[in-house]
Amino acid sequence: MRILRFVVRRLLQLIPVLLGVVVLTFLLVRVLPGDPVRTILGQNASEADAAAARARFGLDQPLWRQFLDYLGGLLTGDFGTSIQSGGSVGAEMALRVGPTLELVVIAVSIALVVATVLGVWSARRANRFGDHGIRLFALAGNSVPEFWLGLVLVLVGYSMLGWFPAPSGRVDPDTNLTPLTGADLVDAALTGNGPAFASAAAYLALPVLTLVVGVVAPLLRSVRASALEVLNSEAYVAASAHGLPRRTLLYGYLMRATLLRLPSLAALVFGTAIGSTVLVEYVFSWQGFGQWALRGLLYRDYPVVQASVLVIALCYVLVFLIADVVHAILDPRVRI
Amino acid sequence: MLSIENLSVLIHRPDRQVAALSDVTFAVRPGEVVGLVGESGGGKSMVARAVVGLLPGGAHTSGRVLFDGADVLRMDEAALAAHRGRGAAICFQNPRGALSPTRTVGRQLVDRLVTHQAMSAARARDAARELFEAVGIRSPQRRLDAYPHELSGGMAQRVMISLATGCAPGLLIADEPTTGLDVTLTREILRQFRRAADADGRSVLLISHDLASIAEVCDRVVVLYAGTVVESGPAEQVFREPAHPYTRALLRSVPDVGGRPVVATPGGMPLLTRVPENCPFVTRCAYADATCATRRPPTEPRTDPSGDWSVACFHPQAGAIGGAEAPSPVTLAGDRGAAETKPAVLEIDDAHVVYRSRFGSGGHHALRGVSLRLAAGETLGVVGESGCGKSTLAKLIMGLVAPTSGSVTVAGQSLVKQPGRPRPRGRELRRLRTRAQLVFQDPIGSLSPRRTVADSIAEPLRAAGLAATERAARVAAVLDRMELDRAILGRYPHELSGGQAQRVGIARALVGEPDLIVFDEPTSALDVTVQAQILAVIADVTADTDRASVFISHDLATVRGFADRVAVLYLGRVVEEGPVDVVFDDPRHPYTRALLASAPRLGGTPAPDGAAVQLVKDLEEADATAGCPLAARCPFVTETCRSQPQHLQSYGASRAACWRVPELTALIGKQATTP
Repeated sequence: MRILRFVVRRLLQLIPVLLGVVVLTFLLVRVLPGDPVRTILGQNASEADAAAARARFGLDQPLWRQFLDYLGGLLTGDFGTSIQSGGSVGAEMALRVGPTLELVVIAVSIALVVATVLGVWSARRANRFGDHGIRLFALAGNSVPEFWLGLVLVLVGYSMLGWFPAPSGRVDPDTNLTPLTGADLVDAALTGNGPAFASAAAYLALPVLTLVVGVVAPLLRSVRASALEVLNSEAYVAASAHGLPRRTLLYGYLMRATLLRLPSLAALVFGTAIGSTVLVEYVFSWQGFGQWALRGLLYRDYPVVQASVLVIALCYVLVFLIADVVHAILDPRVRI
Repeated sequence: MLSIENLSVLIHRPDRQVAALSDVTFAVRPGEVVGLVGESGGGKSMVARAVVGLLPGGAHTSGRVLFDGADVLRMDEAALAAHRGRGAAICFQNPRGALSPTRTVGRQLVDRLVTHQAMSAARARDAARELFEAVGIRSPQRRLDAYPHELSGGMAQRVMISLATGCAPGLLIADEPTTGLDVTLTREILRQFRRAADADGRSVLLISHDLASIAEVCDRVVVLYAGTVVESGPAEQVFREPAHPYTRALLRSVPDVGGRPVVATPGGMPLLTRVPENCPFVTRCAYADATCATRRPPTEPRTDPSGDWSVACFHPQAGAIGGAEAPSPVTLAGDRGAAETKPAVLEIDDAHVVYRSRFGSGGHHALRGVSLRLAAGETLGVVGESGCGKSTLAKLIMGLVAPTSGSVTVAGQSLVKQPGRPRPRGRELRRLRTRAQLVFQDPIGSLSPRRTVADSIAEPLRAAGLAATERAARVAAVLDRMELDRAILGRYPHELSGGQAQRVGIARALVGEPDLIVFDEPTSALDVTVQAQILAVIADVTADTDRASVFISHDLATVRGFADRVAVLYLGRVVEEGPVDVVFDDPRHPYTRALLASAPRLGGTPAPDGAAVQLVKDLEEADATAGCPLAARCPFVTETCRSQPQHLQSYGASRAACWRVPELTALIGKQATTP
């Protein structure tokens, strides 16, 4: 009950936060040097053509006017028209958010599980061989650039071994998957399309692996550090001095206390993962959100940039809300 | 049951080596309560850890720790797992830290019951409730689902005891179980261990730095100094006529409510790097001679009816500890009564402090109408259980909290915003703040870890805007007064011992020559012999005639040494106030009587009135509504007490807030005959 009230209060806080984001991005993209109309029409277009294009996109209006139009559109769910493609930004984005979220959510979830298991395992064998190995692996994963790791995985997994499909597309077109949410794995599960599910999973494997290796390192180090702290804490020593069995010690006294600090770090990592998908999407030709937003920015496609920043901000706020709730559930001392 | 034979523990660290225990030999028999006494660093906890096979990394042991005939030091993993908990279970020193913060205390107890008593989870929960009830936790059903942070210190200690007894151990080890608890609670907790021995037939090893408080419940005591056993014998015998000079020093360092002066033993415990070849106490001992410095005294039995008393000393002493043999008794604050005519340094008039809760209404009423007046040269002792508002009073005096109503002035000036007075600001406020200084409870924690001692001491002078040369001169002067070496100036707090750090803390308070110094439990975090040294320093400081002092403590005995007047605080009210000797020797209020009765005494000084008042409940269950705040706990309560608020009335030289004072002596006599 208290948690529900907390969630509602935090969701209400979303309104001023998003309003601030809307105002800031609207102004910032217009301060950036470069003119979207010129970029698209090219240098040879006549002044009249440019003026006509400006009028079509409403860019000839005064700034406040443009802003009110944009705000009015947002309230009715209209994100505007892409200057570059002429299509509806809302529709384009709907196609692209699903695949990227699927990638990031799966990758961060796997990374969390791997980090917890390996981190605790590693802490219990602190300064022994296995511990050193895992820390080395984490360090390497943190240092390798994602695009390079992605390329190596494609070379090994597709070209040499042939275990995974070519890095082009997200699902085999022959499986006749009906797109619903854009996240192919979810769509396949919803429509009960078995072959499509297997194919989507196969396509996902390499990009997810690339992302996991990138994000698991900070999580693992944090879990290992806090597990070590718990293992050396008076409370844990007291429990083991009372001769409790290993299973009880592990699940009752070590796990929950270790995971206390993980949610807030996981939320941060999730945010970084959304950002770093751009490169992964590029390597695996993943027609996702990151690529779309990047292209929008390069072409100064105002509506696209505004919409993508808004969506990323929304993701951040929601993920941190989830992290706070999970933290409060894990730690009885936290009052929300 | 437990027999430790020639146990030596050497701890190897990369940078140094520590001889934690050297040839320790003693035994605990079934159903016996044995006290293990000594200062921190003496190796008490190391003994406890050795008994459960939890020695730190790098420890090298020799000797044997026999538990029911099996050597704990040579047990394999499986045998050790069976031995821990079922064989010997530890009650840890800091119960809040030793309880897992993310598991309800009920489940933690159930874990132990299921493991060691082979119960089903449902049965274990019932048993857990009964165990909670047995250690005196009220509404145990509700407490089962509490997390450790929701418990008070006393409650957490009870839970810790129930956890240890829940393992059904043959030997219960209690590591400083009463540190940080009030006198009334200390007695109650110690009684729990006696009960474990008497009712359940367990052996108990009680570890403490305070011989006086545990002597009553122990059958035998073992005194540890620098990892060696210096004396062991029947508790009664050792407590009454200690033979080893260290045991005597230990007992003399503890202030006594009877008014016996504290004798400070100079120096500190040595940090041994190998098994000592001489007497480790030699440098601090008044009786030491050449033999002591070259050979280690063997442990020799003393003539005693039980034949159980032994001492490791070439010059064992005899007879009880008296004030007469004290080589240098601490001089007490002089000139009592002369202060009455001087202007008041501190005036508190009917001050209330309410800590409002963050949201909505309600809050915690920490002080409920306190009036005090203190003149220069006077020392006021403030005593009471934890939670009675002592620290709030300190903050109020220092101007760190504002009174909700009423007023507080230091040297006639107001430090905070309060009704009807101008509020000082900026430089004026900073100048005023230097007039009142605080000495904190945690000596090391109250010094900035990133500043040198010189910087810390000079801080108030810098705030006052003094030139660097003058600052240096003043710091040097105050350092001499604290008997600190100049070399200490360049050090950082973590390089100081507790005693040195507290001297620095006092120096910092003293350097600006304030009108008022507030000591907030300045010795409760220190070892007993160090406490005696610091008390001597404080006694010297409070004797200054141009300054007033407030000494706050939950330990009645420390106050007695040098306070002129004492105020007893209970739930935010002063329930008794008067000259220190009158209040201590002839207490009026039932609460003061109860506090004094709970305080440990050295043999020989009888409690006033012969019979003690026993409060019926714990502090946390007492609610202060209308009427006397003590009504819920007072054995002499009547309807009048419950309905009418009590105000301080004069009874002889002191004042007490109780209308039944004239009848009390008779009532107490009746209580004693019909329990």
